[in-house]
Amino acid sequence: MSRWRQSVVEIQTRKKHVNECERAQAALSKVTACFQQMATSLGSNMDGSFLREELEETRTVAHKICSGLHRRLLSLLIEMEQGQEDKGQVERIWVIFLSSLENFQKDLKKVKVLQEIFPLTQRKDRRALVNAGYAGGTSEVAARAAMVQTPWLSVEETASLDLKNHIVKIDVLLEEMLQRVNVPLWSVEPTQEAWLEGVSNQDGWQEEDESLEDIMEVEVVSQNNTSGCCNHHSCKVGCLLCLLS
Amino acid sequence: MTIRNVRDHGQRFRPRMACLKKVESVVLEMQDPKTGVKSQTQRLVITTIPHALTGEDIVAWIANRFKIDAAEARAMGTMMVAFGYIYPLQDHKRLMLKPDTSLYRFQTPYFWPAQQWPVEDTDYAIYLAKRNIRKKGMLELYEQEQYNNLYKWMNHKWDFIVMQAKEQYRAGKERKKPDRVVFDCQERAYWVVHRPPPGTVSAMDYGHDRMVDPNIEEKKTPDYYRRIIMFTQQCIMRPRVKSSVSIGALVKYTTTYKEHDPFLHACLPSNPWLTDDVTYWTLNMPNVETPTKMRVERWTFSFGELLMDPRGRDDFRLFLKKEFSGENLAFWEACEDLKWGAAETMKEKAQQIYKTFLARGAPRWINIDGKTMDITVKGLAHPHRYVLDAAQTHIYMLMKKDSYGRYLKSPVFKETQKKAIAPEQHRFTETQLEQNAKRRRPSLSPIILRQQEEEQKAKLAASGPVDITQVMSKLERKQTK
Repeated sequence: MSRWRQSVVEIQTRKKHVNECERAQAALSKVTACFQQMATSLGSNMDGSFLREELEETRTVAHKICSGLHRRLLSLLIEMEQGQEDKGQVERIWVIFLSSLENFQKDLKKVKVLQEIFPLTQRKDRRALVNAGYAGGTSEVAARAAMVQTPWLSVEETASLDLKNHIVKIDVLLEEMLQRVNVPLWSVEPTQEAWLEGVSNQDGWQEEDESLEDIMEVEVVSQNNTSGCCNHHSCKVGCLLCLLS
Repeated sequence: MTIRNVRDHGQRFRPRMACLKKVESVVLEMQDPKTGVKSQTQRLVITTIPHALTGEDIVAWIANRFKIDAAEARAMGTMMVAFGYIYPLQDHKRLMLKPDTSLYRFQTPYFWPAQQWPVEDTDYAIYLAKRNIRKKGMLELYEQEQYNNLYKWMNHKWDFIVMQAKEQYRAGKERKKPDRVVFDCQERAYWVVHRPPPGTVSAMDYGHDRMVDPNIEEKKTPDYYRRIIMFTQQCIMRPRVKSSVSIGALVKYTTTYKEHDPFLHACLPSNPWLTDDVTYWTLNMPNVETPTKMRVERWTFSFGELLMDPRGRDDFRLFLKKEFSGENLAFWEACEDLKWGAAETMKEKAQQIYKTFLARGAPRWINIDGKTMDITVKGLAHPHRYVLDAAQTHIYMLMKKDSYGRYLKSPVFKETQKKAIAPEQHRFTETQLEQNAKRRRPSLSPIILRQQEEEQKAKLAASGPVDITQVMSKLERKQTK
């Protein structure tokens, strides 16, 4: 009697673990996406120590999620018995986690190279930053990444890593994952279809998203050139600070 | 998953992309607020975005910086656009620099092309999924095809791709509107460079990957020295020619061929690689009825040229048929067939050739001197690919010294020369060139070409060789009548 009850408890804990892993994977996706969005500002006119700090923080969050998720998934897969019900689900999370790690590592490598090209240690380095057209910062994106919750985020202590060691650590993680568990990666069936419904109608967002072509429509400058501040033919700035006159 | 094995001997070095570092330093120079390119504000309906540049400003800056003329500066600017360091804001699919008031912007360093790693298909799949999520029906036809292919090939990763696409889309939405527009432009420009639409030329075509990094110093192992020793020994063994003689030969070759070289002289009607118009190739097909004047001129340069050009060889064959000395050419062709043909039919071919051309009283007996005939017949006891080489060379020299000269003075050749066409030079406008580029199609499959060749050969064989014994017997019969 007690053996039967114990296995029910086991099943329930396992289910809880699996759901935790799913949510953690979603959180990891969120954090890596925000990391990528912030990394696109590196080397541009919006680059600065503030951006780099935000990147560091996001990276540490990602690292914590990764290590926790790695440990838990590994234990789930090792404990898996023959004909386990959630085998498909766990393997799916495993494959998504692997791809996620690879993708994140690629971003980390790019960030490392960019930080070497644009060291920002001296004042004159700021002159070399690329005028990419950005006007605002990425603080909202960083805030989005920081809002992420996982059960072990605040509880567990993970050693902090610098960028170079982080890249190496992911290599180690990946190799370990591929060697310790025998998961046939290519047999995983995706649950998503190829052609999806749009996302803009969900999450209660009101605005209709225009296509880039619509947004890029330029204001038509009138023929008698009164929209420019002066009569110079290449004046495109419509304000008094035009330096062409 | 990507196979992670550093010693997999996978070819990964892309040496022709070493120029990217140099372009980067130029781009960084352009950013200087005092000495860099002037920037303006781009006005859109909803907002304004800074750091827009005009094409003419970029060209002027490059011309000034490198002290070159405007045309070369424009070419260099186009190179920078083609590599993806600058992207056009209008007409974003054409990666070229227009030296007028059209607007451009610098690409953010995250999206710069890099030599160390090629662009990943996973990222492309995420990008396409993101655009599809944002607004349905936004993908173009070629993008839809690629999307379907990626779905099939990366099927196991698809959940990850969709998840990441959604998250990236939401992360992007957190930014302010002008920055979102800028980011979308940047991403779009990045993928136009690395996954070019069909019918365009990509600057990212760098040829084959190399197995070894050509920029590193080679270690001096015993193997290395062994290679160097072999190389120098072969150098010593090479036959030597006086430089005046070899240079004289080079000069002679260049003066003869300089109008026929498509790099040095314009092709008539136009060079297909430049104008995307294939008239030149259709006019110069191997089995064309009327050859071009340039082609006929090449036949007069040397006997080799005449023989190697299929149309020339046909003409020569016709001439020899009229002179009843077609067996020389037939023998030469049969020897070529033996040399280059399949190994299994070699013995039969050699025997056939002997029966038809070399044996006493053979139907198409060729006239070679006794010594060569001796060597050949002895060699035929143990036939191999090159057994008829001596005889073939003899016949070749015979044709070259004798028939070739007569051919060039013959009515057959003069007729062909008269009928040869000299097409007019094409003059295409910009729009016509664009249309030509869109209409590019792959050429005839090699299988079809081979079939045509075989048909031609069969026709030739069916038309029957001029059998000397038959001709002689016919003449005899006529005489006795």
